[in-house]
Amino acid sequence: MASVFPVVIVLVIVAGLMATSWVFTRKGPQQTLIRTSLMLTLACCYLMWAIAYLAQLHPLEVPRVNLALEH
Amino acid sequence: MGTHVPDEYPTLFRSEDMSLVQLFVPAEVAHDTVAELGELGNVEFKDLNPDVNPFQRSFVGEIRRIDEMARRVRFFATQIERERDVLPVRPLYDSAPLITVGPRAAQTMDDLDVTLSAHESRLLEMNEGYELLSGRLAELIEARHVLRETAVFFQRAENNQSEIRTSFDDSSAPLLQHEDRENQYSTVSNVQLDLEFVAGVIDRTRLSTFERVLWRVLRGNLYMNHTDIAEPFVDAATGNSTYKNVFIIFAHGDALLAKIRKVCESLGATLYPIDPNADKRVESLREVNVRLEDLESALYNTGSTRRAELVRIGESLRSWEDVVRKEKAVYETLNLFNYDVGRKTLIAEGWCPHFALRHATEESGTSVPPILHELRTSKTPPTFQRTNKFTEGFQTIMDSYGIATYQEVNPGLFAVVTFPFLFAVMFGDIGHGTIILVAALLMILNERKLVRADLGEIIGTFFYGRYIILLMGLFSIYTGFIYNDIFSKTLHIFQSGWSFPEGSGVVHAEPTGDVYPFGLDPGWHGADNALIFTNSYKMKMSIILGVTHMSFALCMQVPNHLRFKRLTDIYHGFIPQMLFLQSIFGYLVVCIIYKWIVDWSKSPTPPPSLLNMLIGMFLSPGSIAPGTQLYRGQGFVQTVLLLIAVVCIPWMLCVKPYLLWRERQRVRGQGYVGLAVGDDGFDARHDDLEGEEEGNGRAIAADAEEEHEEHDFGEVVIHQVIHTIEFCLGCISHTASYLRLWALSLAHAQLSEVLWDMTLNRVLGAEGFIGQILVVLVFLMWFVLTVAILCVMEGLSAFLHALRLHWVEANSKHYEAGGYQFKPLSFAALNEKE
Repeated sequence: MASVFPVVIVLVIVAGLMATSWVFTRKGPQQTLIRTSLMLTLACCYLMWAIAYLAQLHPLEVPRVNLALEH
Repeated sequence: MGTHVPDEYPTLFRSEDMSLVQLFVPAEVAHDTVAELGELGNVEFKDLNPDVNPFQRSFVGEIRRIDEMARRVRFFATQIERERDVLPVRPLYDSAPLITVGPRAAQTMDDLDVTLSAHESRLLEMNEGYELLSGRLAELIEARHVLRETAVFFQRAENNQSEIRTSFDDSSAPLLQHEDRENQYSTVSNVQLDLEFVAGVIDRTRLSTFERVLWRVLRGNLYMNHTDIAEPFVDAATGNSTYKNVFIIFAHGDALLAKIRKVCESLGATLYPIDPNADKRVESLREVNVRLEDLESALYNTGSTRRAELVRIGESLRSWEDVVRKEKAVYETLNLFNYDVGRKTLIAEGWCPHFALRHATEESGTSVPPILHELRTSKTPPTFQRTNKFTEGFQTIMDSYGIATYQEVNPGLFAVVTFPFLFAVMFGDIGHGTIILVAALLMILNERKLVRADLGEIIGTFFYGRYIILLMGLFSIYTGFIYNDIFSKTLHIFQSGWSFPEGSGVVHAEPTGDVYPFGLDPGWHGADNALIFTNSYKMKMSIILGVTHMSFALCMQVPNHLRFKRLTDIYHGFIPQMLFLQSIFGYLVVCIIYKWIVDWSKSPTPPPSLLNMLIGMFLSPGSIAPGTQLYRGQGFVQTVLLLIAVVCIPWMLCVKPYLLWRERQRVRGQGYVGLAVGDDGFDARHDDLEGEEEGNGRAIAADAEEEHEEHDFGEVVIHQVIHTIEFCLGCISHTASYLRLWALSLAHAQLSEVLWDMTLNRVLGAEGFIGQILVVLVFLMWFVLTVAILCVMEGLSAFLHALRLHWVEANSKHYEAGGYQFKPLSFAALNEKE
């Protein structure tokens, strides 16, 4: 059954991952860079996936194929 | 000496803290100190003698000597380059370094000077000698040709002797002279041929002119013969080759011969004395051959000695170039210092990153030695972002827009992820992403070798951005999975959410009730109306990503305002801007997501068009046409949001100028007179240096015209008006601008599909041996076109658009870019520049 639930679950998971990456990046000259990159990557990838998922939850169009022409 | 790990590292988030330091360097160690600082590459020195003519500075003499040495080194480099056979030059990393600091430094430099001038004089001598010998060689070869050809002429002339005599009888000369000539000839009787002649060599291009001039001058009283010399004469210095001809001119009478000789001289022909006697000619030929042999061997020896000299030079050339470059930089820097005559020390001022200073202090284990001390200053330090080989590329592309103001938030840090991501949204294809990933990996794995090679401008640029390309590839593979596109095909990893019933003709899929868990459903691939769905999806995705990116960029204002203590800017700049953006476009994003979540098949009203909804929000606020409602209470919510947006405009426009005006009124009211522009409290004269003993350092260089903020009220208002209008209009246009994410990804997908359809689609399944060959050939064509058009061309296009999105849409929300780059004295940077 298509529902929003998976999106919310994954959001929680990604938020958790982001928090983990903030806390557990070891100190060093590259700490800010690694933290920022990891968090931004997680956020961007989640956003991309969530948009694709949400767009197909209750689609307003159905695929239409013309079988006679299909090769 | 403890290896103490600092608590706070400098980050890419903002540029590093810089301190203005003042150095007192005793004159004896000045050179070595500067050389060491150059190796470390941490300090940018200020010019403490700005009014001094470059020819009057203290170290002009040393610089002149170094320039002379540099000229010699350049001369050697060009000589080596000119060699036809490539001469090996020992590269810098392989050469033994020359020690230019320490007690033996002066000796080393003197030795180097002597060595260079000795090499130069030897080389010049050899060059001269070689040219001389080459000239003589050419002459001898010409002489040999003349001897050979004239032998032929004489033979021919002998055979035709009687005819010639007859022709002379027919000449227009009077009888009397004819008799004289006969007498003349009989005296020179051992000559088989009774004619006098002139023989020589002339350029082929001048030959026809020569003949014509002679004919005119001598009125036809001559007999001329000439042949081509087959091999050209190559000029050693210029490399030009000229073709020459041997000629011989028979004429009689001294006057005529004299005229001939003059004509030859004027046209640049070289004359050679030829003996009419055949035996003597053979003798001369032998002599010439012997001399030629000698000359050729001498030439060969000179050539090989010269080459040996150049090889010796090539061994040390790079290290000489390096030393000369460094020494010049050191002395030019020393010229920037101020010479304190009383104490015989040089005083230097420069910017140095705080981190480097502290690090040096901790490493040395003692407190900062008294030769260096920090100054307080009101001048803006340069911007220094410490990058490594990974972040360098990203920082460069953001710096191209403008160097960040000192200590403002650095967009380069975020560009490390957002730039490849936005690129990937426009480029999403698993196959193409893999191709560029492989290309990037090839460059990175061969990094060490490629860094030293001269790759040329284009490949060099690609190599410089190899880490950017790496991330672009990785993200493209991810978005390729989301778009479910691999070389225009789809992957069926999971269970599709559409099932196609049996049938023929037009068939509509039925939903299975499940959503394809990752990315676009493969059921859409090949459907007639696939684009309708994909366009809607991608357009909405672009808007969501765009509004998110812009909101993120807007939030970057806050750390800047906090850092520079501009709290009014947060309340009356950031907040109204954010409210304006969110109340219109944030609302649009929420509506998009809401519309996706609602199951419209179960709703009483049909799904409304969001575009019309947004337009309606502005044109007829508060009233929702029946049948176009998205949610309950929509009219009220939209009115509130619109009001908020409208209120934000005067808020952005008026509040800040008003507060500024009020502050100035208050200040004036308290009786303070505004400080005149340019009256810098740190303006010090030279006698103020005495004060340093107590430790209150003053900057020596009185900076002229430090730009003070114009407190002219009119300017502030105008600035605010421009800023408000720019922001409000920009919101709308920038949001629409993000639709390029949709446009480019559509174009990419379509191009990919067309390429497949036009090439491989037509030959796959071809039968027979011919069919197999055809498939291979067409595959090659498909692959080459994929790389050239879809990866390189589309890649560059997506790169450019992603960069534009960062520069215009994102940076305009927070980036001031008013700084100047930190340019330390660094020998490593000098080497890179060469």
